[in-house]
Amino acid sequence: MPPTRIVTLALSVLLGCTTLAACGSAEQPATSASASSGAAAAGGLIAIITPSHDNPFFKAEAEAAKAQAEKLGYQTSVASHDDDPNKQSELIDAAISRQAKAIILDNAGADASIGPVRKAAQGGIPVFLIDREINATGVAKAQIVSNNSQGAQLVAQSFVEAMKSKGNYVELVGKESDTNASVRSKGFADVISQYPDMKPVAKESANWDQQEAFTKMETIIQKSRDIQGVIAGNDTMALGAVAALKAAGLLKKVVVVGFDGSPDAIAAIKAGEMHATGLQPAALGATSAVDQADQFIKTGKTGKDEKQSIDCELVTADNADEFGVFARK
Amino acid sequence: MTATATTAAPEPAATRARRLSLLNVAFELRAFIALAVLIVIFGLLSDSFLTVPNLITMTKHVAINGVIALGMLLVILKGGIDLSVGSIVGLSGVVAGELLQGLHVGGVIAYPPVWVVIVLCVAVGMAVGLINGVLVTRFNVAPFIATLGMLYVARGAAMLISNGATYPNLGGNPALGNTGFELLGSGRPLGLPTSIWIMILLAVAAVLLLAKSPFGRWLYATGGNERAADLSGVPIRRVKTIVYVISGACAAVAGLIIASELTSAAPQAGETYELNAIAAVVIGGAALSGGRGTVRGTLVGAFVIGFLADGLVILGVSTFWQILIKGAVIILAVMLDQGQQRFKRRGAAAAAVAASKKHD
Amino acid sequence: MTGPILRAGEVTKVYGGTHALKGVDFDVAPGRVTALFGENGAGKSTLMKILAGIERPTTGHVELDGRPVRLHSSRDAADQGISIIHQELSLCPNLSIQDNLFLAREVRTAYGSIDRKAQREATAAVLHRLEEDVDPDRLVGDLRLGQQQLVEIARALLQQARVLIMDEPTSALTAPEVDVLFRVIRELTAAGVAVVYISHHLDEALEIADDVVVLRDGRLVATARADEVDIRWIVEQMVGRDQDTLFPSREPVLGEEALAVRRLTVADPAVPDRLAVNGLSLSVRAGEIVGVYGLMGSGRTELLETLAGRLRPSSGEVLLDGAPLHEAGIRDRIERGVVLVPEDRQRDGLVQTMSVGQNLSLAALGTFVRGLFVSQERERAAVTRTIADVTVKTSGAQAAIGSLSGGNQQKVIIGKALLTGPRVLLLDEPSRGVDVGAKADIFELMAAQARRGLAVLFTTSDAEEALHIPDRLLVLARGILVGEFRRGELGRGGLTREELMRVSDGGAQDGSS
Repeated sequence: MPPTRIVTLALSVLLGCTTLAACGSAEQPATSASASSGAAAAGGLIAIITPSHDNPFFKAEAEAAKAQAEKLGYQTSVASHDDDPNKQSELIDAAISRQAKAIILDNAGADASIGPVRKAAQGGIPVFLIDREINATGVAKAQIVSNNSQGAQLVAQSFVEAMKSKGNYVELVGKESDTNASVRSKGFADVISQYPDMKPVAKESANWDQQEAFTKMETIIQKSRDIQGVIAGNDTMALGAVAALKAAGLLKKVVVVGFDGSPDAIAAIKAGEMHATGLQPAALGATSAVDQADQFIKTGKTGKDEKQSIDCELVTADNADEFGVFARK
Repeated sequence: MTATATTAAPEPAATRARRLSLLNVAFELRAFIALAVLIVIFGLLSDSFLTVPNLITMTKHVAINGVIALGMLLVILKGGIDLSVGSIVGLSGVVAGELLQGLHVGGVIAYPPVWVVIVLCVAVGMAVGLINGVLVTRFNVAPFIATLGMLYVARGAAMLISNGATYPNLGGNPALGNTGFELLGSGRPLGLPTSIWIMILLAVAAVLLLAKSPFGRWLYATGGNERAADLSGVPIRRVKTIVYVISGACAAVAGLIIASELTSAAPQAGETYELNAIAAVVIGGAALSGGRGTVRGTLVGAFVIGFLADGLVILGVSTFWQILIKGAVIILAVMLDQGQQRFKRRGAAAAAVAASKKHD
Repeated sequence: MTGPILRAGEVTKVYGGTHALKGVDFDVAPGRVTALFGENGAGKSTLMKILAGIERPTTGHVELDGRPVRLHSSRDAADQGISIIHQELSLCPNLSIQDNLFLAREVRTAYGSIDRKAQREATAAVLHRLEEDVDPDRLVGDLRLGQQQLVEIARALLQQARVLIMDEPTSALTAPEVDVLFRVIRELTAAGVAVVYISHHLDEALEIADDVVVLRDGRLVATARADEVDIRWIVEQMVGRDQDTLFPSREPVLGEEALAVRRLTVADPAVPDRLAVNGLSLSVRAGEIVGVYGLMGSGRTELLETLAGRLRPSSGEVLLDGAPLHEAGIRDRIERGVVLVPEDRQRDGLVQTMSVGQNLSLAALGTFVRGLFVSQERERAAVTRTIADVTVKTSGAQAAIGSLSGGNQQKVIIGKALLTGPRVLLLDEPSRGVDVGAKADIFELMAAQARRGLAVLFTTSDAEEALHIPDRLLVLARGILVGEFRRGELGRGGLTREELMRVSDGGAQDGSS
C-alpha cells in the first residue's frame, strides 16, 4: 500500500510539473511579443480578433495582421473568439474599453456580428472585417473577403478538366450552417452543372473535419467504388478523403480537389495525392486590412470601397512551389 | 384468504406474471433487437449495406468509439463519468505526431521507434486518467467536474504541444527507422483491419477483467454500493483510480488509431467523442448510477451508433436528420432500459403473488 | 364508537420475491389510538406506507370513509386527510424549520410569493404546542435529532389530518419530550383524529393505545382493547413462541484477551465539535460475547466503526492480541481478523446490484484467487458452504440479494464477515429489521462463533436482547461507558429492564459493579 501511494503521488507531482512547464514555455513568446510592441508604442493599439488558431488559416491571418501592424508601429492584441458570437462580443467590449485605434475582425457569424461591430463603431473604433462578410453595410469601414465563389469556380473548372468532363464524383460539404460552405458548394455546382456527364453520386457534410471526412468517404466507397473524383469544401476534408482513398487503393484513379490552400494540401499536391486547391490569400487580406486601418487612423479615410474582394488562386502541381503559408512566397 | 380473493385473483396474476416475464426477455435483448432492426432496415433499403466489405468498414468505424466506450464502461460501472476521453484522443495523436517528427534532445533530434511512440502515447493517456482518478479519490472532486476540467486541460495541452497545427505525414522514414505507424490504422492482419483486432482484444481483456478477476468484482461492488464495498475491505480508492487510468489508456489507443488512419494528427481530433462513448455504454444497458453494465451491451451500443451513422450516409439522408435520429435512438434506448427495470420488479412481484396463491 | 375512517382490506405487498404483507385487514377508528405491534420485518412500516399512499398494495384495496380509494402519492393521501410521521426522518437539512413544515404547501401572499410572516407564526405556534420553542428560521440540519423528530411531528400536526400515522415517533426523544407528545396525541383524539402508533418501546405504546393490533411475518395475528392486555401477552403474540428458545443459554469458555480498547475518543463525524465516543475502555476475550447496550446517538455505531477502521479515533488505542491497530485501514484490519457487520444493511452492508453469492464472497475474494483470476470453483464451494452454515434461505447463490427477506440478508452479511476468517466479530444491531426466526438463528450463530473461539462484540438497543444474549453487558450513553454487568447479574432475578433503561438514560453515576 505505501509504495503504491508513493508512486501515485510522485506521478501526479511529475505531471503537475510538466503541465506547468508546458504552460510556462508557451507563455514566453506571448509576453515577449507584448513587451516589444510596448516598446514601439507610438501608434496605439490594434485589436486582432479571429476564430480559433487551431486552424492554420486563421493563425496565418492573425500573424500576418500582427506583423504588419507592428511594422507600422502599433501595439497589438491578438485574440480568438472560437466562433462563439458571445465571446466575440466580449472581446470587442474589451477592445473598446482599452480604446483600441482599430479592430481587425474575422467575425463569428454574418448576422450575429452586426451588433458588436456597430457597438464598436459607435464607440469610435473603426472595424475592418477580413475573410468573412457581415450582412450589413455602412457599419464596418471595410469588408475584405477572399472571393469564395470565384475560387470555387476556379477549383471546379480545374476539377472538371482533370476528370476529362465526365465521371462519378463525391462532394464533401463543410459545416452546413456556415455561409462559406454553401457559397463554395454553389460555386462548384455553377461550373460542374454545365457538364452533363459529370454525375454526383454522393453529397455529404463532413463538418470541415478530417476524421469525419475519412469515415464518410470510407462508407461512400462501400456504396460504390466507381468514383473518379472528390471535390471538398476545404482542404482538411479533402485530406481525410485522400486517406480513405489511399486505404482503399483508389487514390491513383481518383481526382481530389480542396479549398483554402493549406500547407498540408500544398504538400499533398506536390506528392501527387491531390490535384488542386483554391488558395485564399489570408495574409494578403489581413495585411491589406491593417494598411487600410493605418490609412484611416491617419487620414480618416481608407481610400477604398467598403466591400473588397481578393481573388483566390488555383494551386496545382505546376505552381505549388510558388506558395507558402496562405500566400505567394 | 377470503373466497372472493381466491376466485378472482390467481388466474390473472399467473397470466400477468407470464406475460411480464416474456416482455422482460424482449427487454433484456433490446440492444440486440435494435441492432438487428437497423441491419434489416438498411439491408432492405440499400444493396451495398449488407456486403462483407461494408460490414468490415463499418465495424472499423465502430472500433474507435468501441475502444473508448470500453474504458468508459469501467468508469460508469464505478458510478463515475469520464468527459476527458475526447481530449485524450486529440492529445494522444499530437504526442504521436510530435514524437514521429523527431524529439529534440540537447541539440540532437531523436526519432523513437514506433513501438516506443505507441507506449508513450498510451502512457500519456494513462497519466491524464491518473490525474482524473487522483482528483476524484484524493481531492473529492466530483467525477463530472474533475473530468470536465481535464477535458479542457488535455485539449489545451494538445494545442500547446502542436501550436495548433496538424502533424502531416506520420508514415515515418525508413532511414530513421520509425516507419510502420500507419499499420495501426490501415494494416489488415488476417484480413481484418488492425483497429477491429484491437477492439476485439480489448473487449476480451475487459470481459476477463470484469467477470474473472477480483478487480472486476470490486468494481461492480464499488459501483453498486461504495460504503458496503469499503466496509468489506475493497480498496475503493485504488479501484476508482484504476478505472480512470484504463479509460485514459483506451482513449489514447483510439487517438493512435485515428492518427494512423489519417497518417496525420490534428490537435482538435476527438471533440465530442466522450458523448458517443457514453451513449454506447448507456444504450448497452449500463446504469449511470453504477454497478450495472456489461461489455457485450456496450459493444452492441457502439455498433448501434456506428451502423446507424454509416447506414444513414449510405442512404444519403441529410446530415441534420442524421443528428436528430441519433439523439432519438439514445433516448429511446434509455427509456426502454427504465421500462425493463420497472417490468422486472413488477414481474417478480406478480410471480411471487401467483406462487403464494397457489400454495394457499 | 363509530365505524372506521380508514380501512385496509386483504392487502398484500411483495418486494422482489419477499412478501412483506400477506392479506392483511386493518381498521382505523376516529378518536382512538391504535397501537401496531410487531417484530422488525413483521410488515408494520409497509402497511403504514400503503395507508399513507407512499406504496401501492400488490393486491387488495384501501377504503376511506367506506369508499375504496386509490392513493397515488403521499401528497394525494395528505389531501384526503391522512398524514404520516416517518420512521426515517424525511426532512431537508439544508432548509429552515418553516420551509420544511410548509414544503410543497407554501402559504402564498396575494402576489403569489411565499408569505413568510404567516408561515413563521404558524410554525412558532405549532412548535410552542410541542413545547419546543426554537426559532422557525433555524436550519433543520442544525437541530439535534430529537428536535428534528419534533419538527417531523409538527409538520403532520400542521396538516390537520383526520388520520395521523406515527411510525416510531419517539426513537430520539427524551422522556419529557415523549410526555409532551402524548399530551398532544390525547388532544388530537379528543378532537376526533384517528392515530396509528408504532413503537419499539412496548410499554410506552401500550400506555397511549386504546386498541392493540399485532402483526407477525406479514400477517395480522391478534387484535385487542389495550386495557385488556399486558406487555407479556403482546410479546407472545409478536414472537409467536416462548422467549427461552429465542435466547439460548450458554456456558462460555473464555480464552486470552483478543480485543482491547484503551481510552478511545472519537469525534462525531456529523458534528465535529461533539465527541461520539469519549475516553472509552473495554476488552473482549476470545470465546466471549460482549454486548453494548445504547440508544440512538449513544456512540455505539461510531465505536464499532472505529474498531473496524472506517473512522479514525482522535485519541486512545485499539489492540488486537496485544498489538496496536492504529494505522491499519479497513482492509488491513479484515486481514488481521477484525470485521464489522454494519447496522444499516441497505446502506453499508449489501451491494444491491449483485447476487447473494457475490455479496457473500466480496470481503474474502482475495482468498479465492488463482493466478490472475478468481477461481470459480473455490468461490462456489465457499459460498455454498456458507449459505448452509449461516442458514440463508435462498433459491441459490445466483439469486438477487433483493429477493431475500431482511433476516436472510442479514445472514448473508454475517456470512460475508465469517468468510474472512475473523478473530474478532463486530456486529452493530445484528437483529435490527429481522424476523423472529432469523433473530434466533443469528444469536445462535454468534454463540457458535464464540464457541469456536472468536471474540464477539455486538451492540443492541433492545433491552431483552441486552439482558439475555451477552456474557458481559456494557451500557453506553452519550459516548461514555455508564455501566458494566457480568452474566450472573443479568435478567432473571438480576438487572431488570427498568434498571437498564434508567442506567442508559445516564441516571446512574456508578454503574460498574
